[in-house]
Amino acid sequence: MAAMPVPESDAGWYLYGVVAAGAAPPDTAAVDPRHAVVALAEERVAGLASRVSLAEFDEATLPERLADAAWLEEKIRAHEQVLEAALAAAAVVPCRFCTVYRDEHELRRFLADRADVLELTLERLEGRVELGVKAFAPGAAPSEAAEAESGRAYLETRRREKQAREELSRSRAAIAHDLHRRLLAAADGGVLLDLQSRELSGRTADMVFNGSYLVADRARFEQAVADAAPDGLELELTGPWPPYNFVPEELGRP
Amino acid sequence: MSSRELDSYRPGEVAQLADVLERVLDKGIVIAGDIKINLLDIELLTVKIRLLIASADKAREMGIDWWQNDPFLHGGNGQGELEERLRRLEEKAGLPTTSDEEE
Repeated sequence: MAAMPVPESDAGWYLYGVVAAGAAPPDTAAVDPRHAVVALAEERVAGLASRVSLAEFDEATLPERLADAAWLEEKIRAHEQVLEAALAAAAVVPCRFCTVYRDEHELRRFLADRADVLELTLERLEGRVELGVKAFAPGAAPSEAAEAESGRAYLETRRREKQAREELSRSRAAIAHDLHRRLLAAADGGVLLDLQSRELSGRTADMVFNGSYLVADRARFEQAVADAAPDGLELELTGPWPPYNFVPEELGRP
Repeated sequence: MSSRELDSYRPGEVAQLADVLERVLDKGIVIAGDIKINLLDIELLTVKIRLLIASADKAREMGIDWWQNDPFLHGGNGQGELEERLRRLEEKAGLPTTSDEEE
């Protein structure tokens, strides 16, 4: 079958991440399903990228697109799946969502300019994945203040409940600190992420811990998670993720 | 802790959108293309979609394409149901119904 001619408007390139040169591009759907994901090699690194329409991904139209939840989810899933497939084969430096270049030349220039730091980062990430650890605690009991028989009793109940909440939040902070310290000991690095609200986590329990770790030895890390699990908390492991949280910031600087 | 408590670790399964979002949008975002988007816009946006995610996952569990049906996304779609409920309530209360007024 003859290759379809590429429309002129599809001059943009969407960059998912960077791998070592020579790696095969993953066989997953691109953010624009009309185009395939390819590996554009420049020196010793290669950008995993696919063509996109600049009408869809240009600065002027992106904010509007990003407000479209269905579009956003579809593209974010495609972005993530390309990176997960790449990660299954070898180390990958993940890019931010919607890293788009106006043409192939600009993308290749980025790769050539940053080849050294990209290569070093790939070496550092080789054989490592990002694993997420979340901890959930049962929600606080509903207030009993409304059942108080007098104004004084009401205020007293409120005061006690406030004190209990403060103690709970102090003890949760201490647990989180301890958990993070113990997990770091079994990882090459770790960060604390924002706690997710109940709407976001889809749970009825409060999220009290949300960390992410760069892990070489998964069995050892999982054992550390099991050993460190505090009483009364439910732990959840996620991943392996492309190491989004362990990419040096200097890559982004012009 | 028993291994059973790690049941929620499901490598290979489609990740929760919330977990993907917090990584792809909020963090680990370093390499910039030459097309720039305003980060503030994205942060505001994540706040907005945070509201949608819970219902999204629930809907997916039930096998519903939420984006096809979510009245929040498609102003029109949920409207009919609300209007119908309003009409029934008005009828019950012996008030002239909304649809009567339209006619």
